[in-house]
Amino acid sequence: MATIAPTTRSVGDRPRRRSDVVLLSSVLALSGFGLLMIYSATRFINERQGELSTFSMERQLVFVVLGLIAMAVFSFVDYRELRNFAVPLYGAMIVGLVVVLMFEPIQGARSWIQLGAFRLQPAEFSKLIVIVSLAALFATQRRPGTLSWKLVLSSMAVLGLPAVLIVIEPDLGTTLVLPFIWLVMLFAAGASLKQIGWLLAGGVATVASIFRLDLLEEHQRDRIAVFIDPTLDPQGIGYQLLQSKRAIGAGQLVGRGLFQGTQTNLAYIPEQQNDFIFTAIAEQLGFVGGVLVLAAFLVIVWRLLVVSANSRDRFGALVAIGLAALIGFHVFINVGMTMGLAPVTGLPLPFVSQGGSFYLTMGIAVGIANSIWLRRSAVPGDMRAG
Amino acid sequence: MKYTTRLGVVFTVFVSLFSVLVLRLWFVQIAEGAEAVSAAQRQSNLAISSPAPRGDIYDANGVLLASSRFVPAIWVDRHFVKPEQKEQLIQSLSALLNQPADDIAALYEAAGQNGRFQVAVIDTLKAYQVAEQLRDYPGVSVEKIPERVYLMGESMAHVIGHLGKPTAEDIKVNPELDPNTRIGKLGVERVYEDLLAGTPGETTYQLDSGEITQVVRTTSPLPGNQVFLTIDSELQNVVEEGLAAGIENANEIKAGLRARGVTDGARNDVVRGAAVVIDVHTGAVLAMASFPSFDPGLFVGGLDRATFEDLQSRNAFLNLAVGGLYPPASTFKAITYMALLDHDIPFPSDTEGVDAPNRIVHCDGALELQNLTDGSPQVYRDWYGDRDLGWLNYHDALSNSCNLFFYAVALGVWQNWRGQPEENVIQQEARALGFGDRTGIDLTGEATGVVPDRELYESWKELMLEDESAPKLLTEDRLEAASPWYGGDLMNVAIGQGGMLATPLQVASAYAAIANGGTVYRPHVVSRALDSDGSLRYVASPKVVSRAELDRDAVDQLLIDLNRVVTVGTARAAFEGFGSSLSRVGGKTGTGQSVKSKDNHAWFAGIAPIDDPQYAVAVLLDEGGSGGAAAAPIARYIMQYLMGEELDPITAGQLAD
Repeated sequence: MATIAPTTRSVGDRPRRRSDVVLLSSVLALSGFGLLMIYSATRFINERQGELSTFSMERQLVFVVLGLIAMAVFSFVDYRELRNFAVPLYGAMIVGLVVVLMFEPIQGARSWIQLGAFRLQPAEFSKLIVIVSLAALFATQRRPGTLSWKLVLSSMAVLGLPAVLIVIEPDLGTTLVLPFIWLVMLFAAGASLKQIGWLLAGGVATVASIFRLDLLEEHQRDRIAVFIDPTLDPQGIGYQLLQSKRAIGAGQLVGRGLFQGTQTNLAYIPEQQNDFIFTAIAEQLGFVGGVLVLAAFLVIVWRLLVVSANSRDRFGALVAIGLAALIGFHVFINVGMTMGLAPVTGLPLPFVSQGGSFYLTMGIAVGIANSIWLRRSAVPGDMRAG
Repeated sequence: MKYTTRLGVVFTVFVSLFSVLVLRLWFVQIAEGAEAVSAAQRQSNLAISSPAPRGDIYDANGVLLASSRFVPAIWVDRHFVKPEQKEQLIQSLSALLNQPADDIAALYEAAGQNGRFQVAVIDTLKAYQVAEQLRDYPGVSVEKIPERVYLMGESMAHVIGHLGKPTAEDIKVNPELDPNTRIGKLGVERVYEDLLAGTPGETTYQLDSGEITQVVRTTSPLPGNQVFLTIDSELQNVVEEGLAAGIENANEIKAGLRARGVTDGARNDVVRGAAVVIDVHTGAVLAMASFPSFDPGLFVGGLDRATFEDLQSRNAFLNLAVGGLYPPASTFKAITYMALLDHDIPFPSDTEGVDAPNRIVHCDGALELQNLTDGSPQVYRDWYGDRDLGWLNYHDALSNSCNLFFYAVALGVWQNWRGQPEENVIQQEARALGFGDRTGIDLTGEATGVVPDRELYESWKELMLEDESAPKLLTEDRLEAASPWYGGDLMNVAIGQGGMLATPLQVASAYAAIANGGTVYRPHVVSRALDSDGSLRYVASPKVVSRAELDRDAVDQLLIDLNRVVTVGTARAAFEGFGSSLSRVGGKTGTGQSVKSKDNHAWFAGIAPIDDPQYAVAVLLDEGGSGGAAAAPIARYIMQYLMGEELDPITAGQLAD
């Protein structure tokens, strides 16, 4: 198994300006594969609506190109600049998350800011900004290997404000992903197991009291109830889950063949090209295809951790591990949700799912990681604070 | 903890999380995959059946009686109706078709999730109108469906039958049944449902969650078989004409009685009657009429409640010929006659008015007897009042319908064989000829009939003693007597009264059996069925139900005496002017008594020709009055047709039993 350790070979004898080829090629492969899957899931629907069968794929292609440009730009920009802009970025994010609440809800949530023909989801970008802000905060710790309670509590505040705004939208998926990123970054920043234990205990107590005090609205409780028992809502989420599992199951070992999946072709799975794109993969390409996709994601997580290990500074290292947590958690919740392992929350599959804001976010994330890689320390393990 | 260790921990967490995904994926795709594949196949296909046109029904000569045509109908397929569109759709259809929204909503619910139902048959103009607006109605389509057409109106309605929606019970019996289809509810339509229904076609569509994407396969509906009846519609017309005119005649007789101030026998108007003609050698029913009738076409478009209830209250759906139970009255004397000769029944001794050695009875209107149970004197009176017909032998007793003679036969049985197996010779003769049991005709609503005897009365007594709430079948005094079966009961049996009950078809069938020498055939109305290629799918071969051992010579005597009924006996007036073949026809009148509040039921049962029997005829007028006056003229009319005579209009015969 690949080790996650500073690279020694590159010292001195190699030019440092070389991108992480494994990371970038994995991302490119998944993006291209995503376009194919989006096409397979939308060609008939588009035709029926009087569009070209390639309409959805072409639209996504635009986002992929924009995302790749963003990836390149952020690769060349020194990631350390982000640290300088952490505070204004955080401020802009809060403004964005407040502004979004003033728009008309779409599908029951105020998640989008309408800009001409495009719609932006500030919550997607907030994931990156929270990672950058937390990394900037934790990087102020002078003594590596430990984390003061003061920083822990400050980080809780940094996380809490956007998290509350996102809960209000509501965007359950993002609300779930932020605490996870926070926990992973806390651990990487040097929090002791005792500290993490206390935080987890506090989290459990909070969740319990939310239920105890009836703070959740009825529809939110219903959603959790349906997660536990999907048959409660056979026409809504339950229906989506049933169809999702049926499509995946029908793929069996090697799949029904590209463009041969009846459930995909006949559009039985609502939102398949978005959050349920994994069902298209699993039905058409089977267990083999599904495992290969998961393996590609594990490679990306591994590379991001390697980037973290090689970062020239703590800020870069923490940003990289935050990105690893972001992508890894997205994949777990997204794929888990299609098989009834995780709640149906609206977390897309990185690089594969249709969606502009999220693809752009992912492009920027990979660009930042590449930027960290390109500027990794000359001496392995020499991680200077500051 | 070193930083790289912490990274290792994080990586291990992700490897674990991803392993969980892979395990789950294995479970969903490999362990449960096959199940998902079949579920996916079921889901992506939608099978819609197209109803098959029912087979045509023809009479014996190929005259079309019932057929099918294609009409436009509105269908709703709930596959294509989103829940939020339901209300709007029901309201629109209600406005468009001018039907109560509740009715449509009920159909909608009954169809079930993803069900399909027919809302209504519409006219062509409306079909165009709807077709233009189909875009506005999700899931609505206009389709041509086969609809039944009845060409005969009220004629033969009870034989042909009618259609209706399948009941919950029907669907339970046959789960394949499409609730939108119409199935036979009465008569041939019901009994021969399997031959007539045809096989629905089916089109399988591939569906996505909202729309049809392609047709997977189509099978065409297979029309039902063509069914040919034994009924000759020309004869049927004669029978119906005769019956209708006969009812009118009976009512005129009653009006005449009332005009003369006679109320007895003229209490109620005649509205019900039945007539049947069967082939004595096969049991084929050549004509069968029952009044009042109904038009089966009324059911095609859906019958409104008021019309249905009106028809129901007049018993219009009852096929009186097979379902009407009446005392066969004097028509039964032919059976007692046969029992007398077949079993050589001894005459009673020491009875005034009976000459036992000469086997003659003094038919002077009254028979004085000691009560057959307690010995007190009792007088049995005959229908002709105080007239004296003289001492009659069995020939004259039959042609004059002398009750006293047949009472004497019963008394002879009672005196000599009381309590022994021979006690039932008359009933045995009746049962052997088909009384007391269903004939097994291929029609709905057949009644059983009753042939009473000691055993039956004793079982009734037992039932009443055991169960307080049992129907009061017997009077109190019978419950106290040693046996509830009296000699008077047997006397009543001998003249087809008392507890005796029979249908017109049973009477016709018994006469047919006597005429052919004793073979009881199962009567039938369908002769054969052909499929759409013209090949034979069903043939009715004559089925023997039972054989009565009849003395050939006795049969010949009876046939001659039946002729005497129409030449010199109780039906003489009715058969006046019959034509040259009068000598070749015969029959027996009957006047059945039922409850006090009702007038007598008029009967005639006949055979033609008597020298080479072909046809058995039975006519019954419910509360028709005198058999000789009211029923015999109808039979005469029918038999004139059967014998190729010119038909004379129906006028009253003589007022005779």
